[in-house]
Amino acid sequence: MREISKLVLVLSLICGISAAALTIVRVSLEERIDMQNDFYVRGPALEQLFQKPANDVLKNKIAFAIDDITYPIFYMTDGDMITGLAIEAPGRGGYAGDIIIMMGIDTEAEKIIGLEIIQHSETPGVGSKVEKVSFRKQWCNLGISESFELRTHGGIIDAISGATYSSNAVVDGTNRVKSIINDHLDEIESLIQANLD
Amino acid sequence: MSYKKVLLHGLWQDLPPFRLVLGLCPALAVTASIENGLGMGLAATFVLIFSNMLISMLRNIIPDQVRIACFIVLIATLVVIVEMVMKAYFFPLSQQLGIYIPLIVVNCIILGRAEAFASRNPVLLSMADGLSIGIGFTLSLSLVGSIREILGAGTWFGIPLFGSNFEPFEFMIKAPGAFLCLGILLGLMNAYSRKRGESIIQT
Repeated sequence: MREISKLVLVLSLICGISAAALTIVRVSLEERIDMQNDFYVRGPALEQLFQKPANDVLKNKIAFAIDDITYPIFYMTDGDMITGLAIEAPGRGGYAGDIIIMMGIDTEAEKIIGLEIIQHSETPGVGSKVEKVSFRKQWCNLGISESFELRTHGGIIDAISGATYSSNAVVDGTNRVKSIINDHLDEIESLIQANLD
Repeated sequence: MSYKKVLLHGLWQDLPPFRLVLGLCPALAVTASIENGLGMGLAATFVLIFSNMLISMLRNIIPDQVRIACFIVLIATLVVIVEMVMKAYFFPLSQQLGIYIPLIVVNCIILGRAEAFASRNPVLLSMADGLSIGIGFTLSLSLVGSIREILGAGTWFGIPLFGSNFEPFEFMIKAPGAFLCLGILLGLMNAYSRKRGESIIQT
């Protein structure tokens, strides 16, 4: 019995100390990792969506928190008017974890201007095809009032063959953005106004 | 064992991946350019030195029955630290190496050195062993990476080496090129060892 409790004690102690070390490193590097992400991943995506230099858009950033998830939101303005939003959201149910997407929305015309994949760990050559323009462009110019569904579920989005999970995760992410826009647009706008002032 | 012997054994006698034939997965997968090979080698070296140090420090505390679990926890912790530091300071490299950085956890070389060396030798000697094997691994990956990048893309560290008339041998930077390159290098090394009359020849 004493033998076993020693085994348990040593292993738990090592695990505990490792966890503590990782937490410290994570907390101290989090901000820098986020900055690098802005520069190398979000910047190019925003350039694609708004056709403006990344530096002009990256600084227009707010964080909108709801249901324990924080959504980074970038905005474009024309004077005092908000003309475009880019909302980053996790798509749940990917084959290897969440697929982080960013959806660009023209708030005046109330339609989608583009979809970018920010981060994924899907299988190269199969699920990774969600990055392809041919898949992403299906969202372009769609309205934001209705939910998106795969064609197999009666919607209009064609899934990538062999990668239903990955396609579904992207659809989930876009639906998340859609419901944020539909339910919380006023809150987001007031957050942005506060940020502008 | 003397420090000199420990420091030198990773450079020829136990040179990974060629002589140990361990750690072949990263040697094949991330060596499409020298930059990737070098980055992968340095990350693995860092993990090796510190995992050897920690395991050697704890070698009298860790009970034999749970040693593998303890080793894996320690190695995994170091690997995640390396991954986060890379993301914070070398983001493009970390994106290129991608999944292979977390996979250092299951790199046979690191667990192999922990089990075969660090768990039965003093701290400084174990760190020397980690350094030696790590440098050997880094040099090997850089060599494979250089050959593949020079032949396959006509560049070295991204700098064009030949004129614009050079038609790169693209096959070399694709997966089959890795096998070809590694196989030829292994063959040459075995031929050399045989000529020197050494006993360890991988067959």
